[in-house]
Amino acid sequence: MNNQSAIKVKNLVKNFGKDDNLVRVIENASFEIQKGEVVALIAPSGAGKTTLLMMIGCVIEPTSGEIWLGDNMVYKNKWLAKDTRRIRREKIGFIFQAHYLIPFLNVLENITLLPQANNVSPKDAQKKAFELLEYFEIADKAYNMSSQLSGGQNQRVAIARALANNPEIILADEPTAALDGERAVSVIKMLKKIAVEQNVAIITVTHDDRILPYCDRIMKIENRGIVFHDKDAKGIL
Amino acid sequence: MINLAARDIEHSLGKFIVTTMGVGMLLGIVFIMIGVYRGMIVEAEILLNDISADLWIVQEDTLGPFAESSRVHEDLKNIIYVMKGIDKSEAMTFQNIQLPSKKKPVRVVAVGYDIYGTINPINPDRLIQGRELKNDHYEIVVTDKTGFKLHDEIKLGRNFYKVVGITTKTVSNNGDPLVYLSLKDAQELQFLYSNKEIQNNVARGVVNSESLMVNTIVARVKNGFSIDEVAEDIRKWQHKSVYTAQDQKDILTKNLIEKSSKQIGLFTVILIIVSTIIIALIIYTMTLEKMKEIAIMKLMGLPNSLIISMIVKETLLLGIFAFVFGNIFSHITYDKFPKLVVLQIPDAWALFGIILVASVLASFVGVKKVISADPAAAIGG
Ligand SMILES: Nc1ncnc2c1ncn2[C@@H]1O[C@H](COP(=O)(O)OP(=O)(O)OP(=O)(O)O)[C@@H](O)[C@H]1O
Ligand SMILES: [Mg+2]
Repeated sequence: MNNQSAIKVKNLVKNFGKDDNLVRVIENASFEIQKGEVVALIAPSGAGKTTLLMMIGCVIEPTSGEIWLGDNMVYKNKWLAKDTRRIRREKIGFIFQAHYLIPFLNVLENITLLPQANNVSPKDAQKKAFELLEYFEIADKAYNMSSQLSGGQNQRVAIARALANNPEIILADEPTAALDGERAVSVIKMLKKIAVEQNVAIITVTHDDRILPYCDRIMKIENRGIVFHDKDAKGIL
Repeated sequence: MINLAARDIEHSLGKFIVTTMGVGMLLGIVFIMIGVYRGMIVEAEILLNDISADLWIVQEDTLGPFAESSRVHEDLKNIIYVMKGIDKSEAMTFQNIQLPSKKKPVRVVAVGYDIYGTINPINPDRLIQGRELKNDHYEIVVTDKTGFKLHDEIKLGRNFYKVVGITTKTVSNNGDPLVYLSLKDAQELQFLYSNKEIQNNVARGVVNSESLMVNTIVARVKNGFSIDEVAEDIRKWQHKSVYTAQDQKDILTKNLIEKSSKQIGLFTVILIIVSTIIIALIIYTMTLEKMKEIAIMKLMGLPNSLIISMIVKETLLLGIFAFVFGNIFSHITYDKFPKLVVLQIPDAWALFGIILVASVLASFVGVKKVISADPAAAIGG
């Protein structure tokens, strides 16, 4: 089943600014990522990792090119969907370096907010949330506020939130950067497990070579284009 | 769906309560000012209602006796009395006087009436102590607000007057307390000159006929007669200005309403604008504090409608709680104001409506911020 395409990018170009201030970030990037695959995205700072992730996530508009998510073409020189936010809401889970939980909602509410916006009944949303919380071993914190949790616990809640809407794609921007080594490994193991069990495509930006072994492939931005490396390649970072 | 507005307010409850109380106090002041205005209109009509005359006959071409000075002969009451359709007619005087008092002279309006007459300006319901006037001379009934007690002696002109009765809530159209005198005493106070002048006049052989003047004749019309027709008759035959009870109310309140409604209306508008600005500022800062979360919500894909409804609901809740607090505030304090404050439910509802509209307007600044928030900014590069 791992041969279906989750993300396909063709001739993607992204420039910021104009004329004298023109910054070329991505030029003619083309690649494809399958469902169930965990791909590490690496590149030096400022190379355009976040920018690429946000273009796939329909947050930042590319300059030109094509993007498919699953069977749907979402971008061809312009957004093809009227409501890109709906695509994010229904298909994509985001994880960041910081947890970005909403401070005035408790853990459970943070996780059920997005599914409820997708018209999942509060009951079903809570059931799913508790499954996730149990999976991440923080079910006892369901009614706590984010401020009452440790950094690692918050990050696990943030991952649970990204999974709550059963996304087809998870885009993670340095999800382990704020965690110590042991926790970082446990998070990437979790993501790997989710990818396999739920057939989700995951791209994770990382600077951490301890988590590379858990990824299926390594994608690198080189000379503004995309190059794939074997995950066992030495000295890649 | 999770009620984001309620959750956010819960999260910053202290700040929310302090803000609502502040805005609530402003609204309470607005409510009291409207109440002062209502009170002025009520006060303007107290004397008219207590006398409850159908017709006011005054000097020709004047708006007397309250809005303009008017003088007519006391005899006129007899002439009016025999006219067709008249049931009762009496002479009355109204004058501003100062009651000497130990602390500070009290400005009052003295009502002079015929104590044997058929129209009594003292409303028995408002007489809380003592009795009405029984003697032609040197008795006075005063309003409790003047500070005088039963049996006090008050010097007016050349004589001492004994307080025989106390009324309450009796005020003139300007809000001055009323006192009641016999017609004879009142005429003497209003129209007689000083001792010296009288001696002079006597020496010169001038007879003072002024003391037979009054300010108005009030009349009641018999059942079955049209008040307007009787008024027209008097105008035609007596060359006097005649006002119905409603005309008189209009004369008194028109000037008053025009002046005070402008003044109080302006204050009210300013305070409501200030309240709106305060609400807008609070909502704006509350929104600014949440910009990170709002950007994250947008990035996750939550629709604008959800985020905007959070902001608008928060503003409305702020407005509603401020209104409730303002109401409590005004009801606790209204009777501590020197002026009569009349709090009316329709005014409260109108204010409520205005606050809702003001809150929605105030939420615009926050909503604008939400719409312009860049989801990519959430992750800060
Ligand atoms: N809104 C913007 N306007 C102009 N230039 C931008 C904008 N956003 C990003 N850039 C530029 O695009 C390039 C790529 O930025 P990006 O944030 O994608 O890098 P990154 O690979 O994620 O870096 P890091 O590892 O530090 O997070 C940088 O040179 C950055 O200055
Ligand atoms: Mg980045």
